[in-house]
Parts: sequence; C-alpha cells; structure tokens
Amino acid sequence: MKQDVFQARHAAEWDTFERWLAAREALRRKDRAAADTIMKAGDFPLALRRLCQQLALAERRDYSAQLVRRLRDLAQRGHQVLYKPGAPRLRRVVDFFAATFPRLVRAQWRAMAASAALFFLPLVGVIVLLHFRPELIHSLFGPEQLAQFENMYDPSKTAERLGRTDGTDLQMFGYYVFNNVGIGFRTFASGLIAGIGAVFVLVMNGVIIGGVAGHLTEIGYGEPFWHFVAGHSAPELLAIVISGGAGLQIGMALIAPGRRTRGRALVESGVIGAKLVLGVFALLVFAAFVEAYWSSIAWMPGWIKVTVGLSLWLAIPLWLWRGGRGRADAES
Amino acid sequence: MIDTLTVVETPEGIALQLRSAGAMPRACAWALDFLIRAGAMMAVGVALGALGAGGVGLYLIALFGVSWLYPVLFEVLRDGQTLGKKALRLRVVNANGTPVTWLASIVRNLLRTVDMLPVCYGFGLVASLADAHGRRLGDLVAGTLVVYVDQPARAGTVPDVPAEHAPLALPSAERAAIVEFAERSAQLTPERQEELAQLLPALTRAQGALAVHRLHGMAAAFLGRA
Repeated sequence: MKQDVFQARHAAEWDTFERWLAAREALRRKDRAAADTIMKAGDFPLALRRLCQQLALAERRDYSAQLVRRLRDLAQRGHQVLYKPGAPRLRRVVDFFAATFPRLVRAQWRAMAASAALFFLPLVGVIVLLHFRPELIHSLFGPEQLAQFENMYDPSKTAERLGRTDGTDLQMFGYYVFNNVGIGFRTFASGLIAGIGAVFVLVMNGVIIGGVAGHLTEIGYGEPFWHFVAGHSAPELLAIVISGGAGLQIGMALIAPGRRTRGRALVESGVIGAKLVLGVFALLVFAAFVEAYWSSIAWMPGWIKVTVGLSLWLAIPLWLWRGGRGRADAES
Repeated sequence: MIDTLTVVETPEGIALQLRSAGAMPRACAWALDFLIRAGAMMAVGVALGALGAGGVGLYLIALFGVSWLYPVLFEVLRDGQTLGKKALRLRVVNANGTPVTWLASIVRNLLRTVDMLPVCYGFGLVASLADAHGRRLGDLVAGTLVVYVDQPARAGTVPDVPAEHAPLALPSAERAAIVEFAERSAQLTPERQEELAQLLPALTRAQGALAVHRLHGMAAAFLGRA
C-alpha cells in the first residue's frame, strides 16, 4: 500500500486519538470531561493497539519519517496513559498495614536485628555507663545543651507541660513530624552508602538518647523524663530501628548482591525499602501525635502513662510478629 | 556511538524511544522547583504567621509536605512531571518506558538525600556523568529515567505536484529520504533546496529549480499519487 492511501484511510482515526489525548491532558476539568465525547475510555486500549499496529506497518514499509514520527509520538503518549498507575485503594492500604508491612519486617529480620543491636546496645550501654561514671556526660554534650535538657524535665517546672519549655501541642506536633519523620527518611536513605550512613545514624541516636536518659535519671529528673517518653517511645524507637534496617538491607544489596547483578539487587532492595519506609512514616506520625498530645499532659498520673507505654511496647512487636500470618493470600 | 537514546520494546510490539536528560536540564528543573516551593512556603508563612504558635506547627507540617511529598505526588499524579520538569519538558518514567509508579517515585525522592551529599548534589552529579542514561543514584535504585518529552511532531506535506517516475529503481530507505526532503522543503529556502537537489544529478538530470521540482514529483509518486 502506498503511503498516501494508508494515510487517507487512517487519518481520521489518528486525529480522534490525538484529540482524545489532548483533551485528557487538558488543565481544565471541563476540557477533560470532553474527552469522553471524543472517544469512550473503554475504546482506548483497542485504539492504542490499532495505532501500534499501524506504526509497525509504517516502519516496516519505510513510510516517510514524518509519518512514522507522528505515529510514534501518538503511541508513546498512549502508552503513558495505558500504563498509568491506579490510585491506591483503601483495601490495599488496610492490607498493607495488616499484613504486607509486618511480613516484610519479618522477611528482613537479619537487617532488623542488626539495626536493633546497633541502636539499642549503645543506648543501654550509655545509660549503664553513666550510672557508674556520671561525669562522662560532659564529653557527650556541652553545658548549654545539658541546661536545656534539664530545663525541659525539671520536676519543679513540669506542673503544666512535660518535655518542653514552651509551645503549643500543635506547634510541637508539626515540629515532631518535620524533624522525626525527616530523620527516619534520612536514616533509610543514608544506608545506600554501603550501609555506613545508617550505622552512623543508628549508633549516634542510640548514644544521644541513652546519654539524655542516663543523665536525667542520675540527677534525679528521671520521673518526669520517663513519664514523658513512655507513651511515644515504642512507635518512635521501633520506627527508627526499622528505617535503619531498611537502610542496611539496601547497603547489603550494594555490598553483597548475591546471585543477582548489582543493579538488579539495588532495584529490588529499593522496592522493599520504600515499602518499609511507608510503614515507618505511619509509625512516626503516630509517635509524633502521641508525643505532642499525650506525652506532654502533666496532670496525668505517671502509672497510666507507663501502662500505656508498656502496652504499646507489647502491641507493636506483637503486630510485627503476628501480622499477616496464616492468611490465604500469604505470599512468599 | 555516544547516544542518549534508549529503545524499549513494548508488549504491543513497538519500540519506544526515550531520550534521557543530562544533569544540566535536570538541575534547572530542580532550581525552578526550589523557587516555586520557596515562594509557596513564604506565602504559607505569611498566612500562618497570624495564627501564632499553632501556625508554626502547621507551617512545619507544610514544610515537611513541600520537601518530601511534593515531588512524589507531582511525579505520580501529573504524568511524571513536577512543575519544574514540566517547564523544562522533562518527565520521569520507569526504565521500561511506563509511567513512574508510587514505589519507584518514593525511592528516587527519598534517595535524593544521598545524591545531595557531600554538597550541591555531588554524588548525583558524578553518578549522572558516569551513567550512560544520566541517572543519579536515586534513579539507579528506583529503576527510573528522566527523559525529554518530545514535542508533538507536526507533519509537513509533500507539495502537490504531478507525480513523476524515477529513472532508477531506488531502495526503500532512499525513497523515504526523498519523501522526507519533499515534506521538509517548506522549512528550507529555495536556494538550499536547489543545493540539496544538485547532489543527485543522476536522478534529477536537471539543475536548479527543475531538479527540485522533479524530486517533489518523485516523492509524490512514491507516496502513491497519480
């Protein structure tokens, strides 16, 4: 078939296709709605298949470059529409938190265990160390920082608000989201540098948190401090451990890809990491909410806070341990 | 040959052609995004400043959204384009040419943190200079590419002249070249057209405007016009 005949036969089809694409990409809602009058969305896959076939024919028959370019352009734009990812469905979000995320944490248990060790060993170690050598705190923090921590948990000043010197609940919530979630994200990302970044962040945070906790306990400010952190400690610390683990597994993919190419291993660990970070994000926002609106309540008796904190320390590991077990859709 | 073109076979049996973008246009897109975000945060700051301490909290949440969520939401929901990328006609796609997915976009934007190290996107710049497709580290791990959005091609038409048979049998690639010359002649000056037509004396057996005219006629014949 000569090109002119081919073009004349299909030109109307191509024009419709082009107008439909343009209408879909339009900015105004009204113009986008008009796409349906040009071509029904259900007819689009067939139209794209036909177009792809016509493109293949045009290339095979050495039709002019202009025609091939136009068809290729239409096909590429159609391809973008056909393979557009769908919106996340509620069902999938629920499934993710009920099953996918706990399963993924368990599947990556080696990275998680390493991350927990890297975080909790320095934390507990520094607390124990400060019990015997309290003066060592001065090699961790400067006098101004110490004064600030002490001011936040001074038993004589915590009649109204715990764990902060000023600021409303909402202000602190915003601060915790911006700061803590950002730290969680960076902990994961820094794992790409052969895991070194994640190791550094985990150990450093362990030492700092352990230092603050140990010091405040030693100088007798322990009660307001532990009552303040009890509630949000479980989601916050476990989230940091998980994001560290997500970072370590990406670092391991770079160091020891196993029987995959390094690029392939990185892409696979990237998907795992992104899913883990989604869970970390939820945990940290929850922790920020607890920290801002619950932990700071000063009039609440300490035993209630400790009970709630301990139940979270039970509930979250239980969720990670049992979540998604024994379900019909259990995947590898 | 150094070429930024990636050809991807699709299940539909066609070859997608992706032209990956280098560090420079991407840096410009990022700078533009940065200005837009900074401007938006300034406006938000002024509006929330009236709310006092609670406003600070909301401002920080907005700052979190603008720094972490903005690129992911725009890339997935706006056809792989943040506002800066749209202005520079760039688009993020998966390595197989399909639109970028949620997880891939999350990975590439989280790992931006590493690309920014040690200063000014140092790692990202080195990676994109070393990689054949100009990918930064985040793109390598996410399996994504930043490509140019091609301008919709505007097809020219072959001048409407009587068809004329070529004195020689030509292979199809050469026929296509002559048709393309005719299609594009509207974009060329008459002098340039004549100059090009002169390269084919065996075919046109003429000089100047007549040679051009004959080539147009042959193109019309190749297209199947009577």
